[in-house]
Amino acid sequence: MVRVLSMVVLGLAVLVSGCASRVNYGDAQARETVTTDFGSTDLQMIAAKMVDDMMVFPPIVAITQSRRPVMFVDQVKNKTSEHIDTESVTDTIQSKLINSGKFRFVDMTVVNKVRQQLEYQQDSGMVDQSTATQMGRQIGAEFMLYGNLSSIVKRDDSTKDVYYKFTLKMLNIQTGIIEWSGEKEIRKTRKRTLFGL
Amino acid sequence: MTRLLYTFNALLLAALLAGCSASNMAQLQDSDDGESLVVHSNNSLLGNRLSVEEIRRKRVGDLLYVQATLENGWKFELDFQYKIKWFDNDGFEVAPESQPWRQLVMAGRSQNNIQAVAPNASAVRFEIWARE
Repeated sequence: MVRVLSMVVLGLAVLVSGCASRVNYGDAQARETVTTDFGSTDLQMIAAKMVDDMMVFPPIVAITQSRRPVMFVDQVKNKTSEHIDTESVTDTIQSKLINSGKFRFVDMTVVNKVRQQLEYQQDSGMVDQSTATQMGRQIGAEFMLYGNLSSIVKRDDSTKDVYYKFTLKMLNIQTGIIEWSGEKEIRKTRKRTLFGL
Repeated sequence: MTRLLYTFNALLLAALLAGCSASNMAQLQDSDDGESLVVHSNNSLLGNRLSVEEIRRKRVGDLLYVQATLENGWKFELDFQYKIKWFDNDGFEVAPESQPWRQLVMAGRSQNNIQAVAPNASAVRFEIWARE
């Protein structure tokens, strides 16, 4: 009887120790499937697909063959019902494009800060004018990146199906022509199973 | 009764250990000459079921563009992740933290092409890693 009891206690101890909470660092690039909501894996898949598509599109290859065109990122409209930081997606895409050595970017989100700094250097009397950065020397952007993120959600009693579509376009600012457009589709399904297994 | 409890505990322990096991990886690597294929694996199941049938490469501008034809030799669906690591001439991994694990579901006894573009012009060699 004592042996039986000790076996039960041992079993319970193993179970209880398995429930203790712990904090661990994980692989940031690993697949994340906690819920069907937009997640890190979706962001990484989208960014990788967009950059790969753009880099192999023949007109883009021709444009970037001998120079590094200047672009700016407008915005990716979030048309889903979720709160999604689409700027985070475009930041990743922008980083990959810059690091590819094919494109350069101007950042429209810091224009006011740059202007303040230029005015300080020019007008404050505090800066040696031989080292001051000159006004009117910035390079104008040739292309604009913008896009949409939309979703279709369907559910019944046991299943939730989410379809995401990310579209990114590259527009020639001077001509108004869309030089490139890429799409990434993602489907995620969550099924509620018996006993949660 | 005692035998039942032993069995229960053994099963419990096995389930816990299975849940704690590290994710196994299989490495599918192209050889330096680009002719033959070398398959390394420390996951016998995935490594045996998954194989590289063909690797094609070309340059788009100065970027390396590769396509690998993977074959699922198993008769059932194979659900796994893969990652492409890029290396420069000196053997340094290029942009190691920018390559995500990509999901791939292959039907039984089927082939899929996976494609990728090097992060920049310094990448001259690549390795495909797969894990469940």
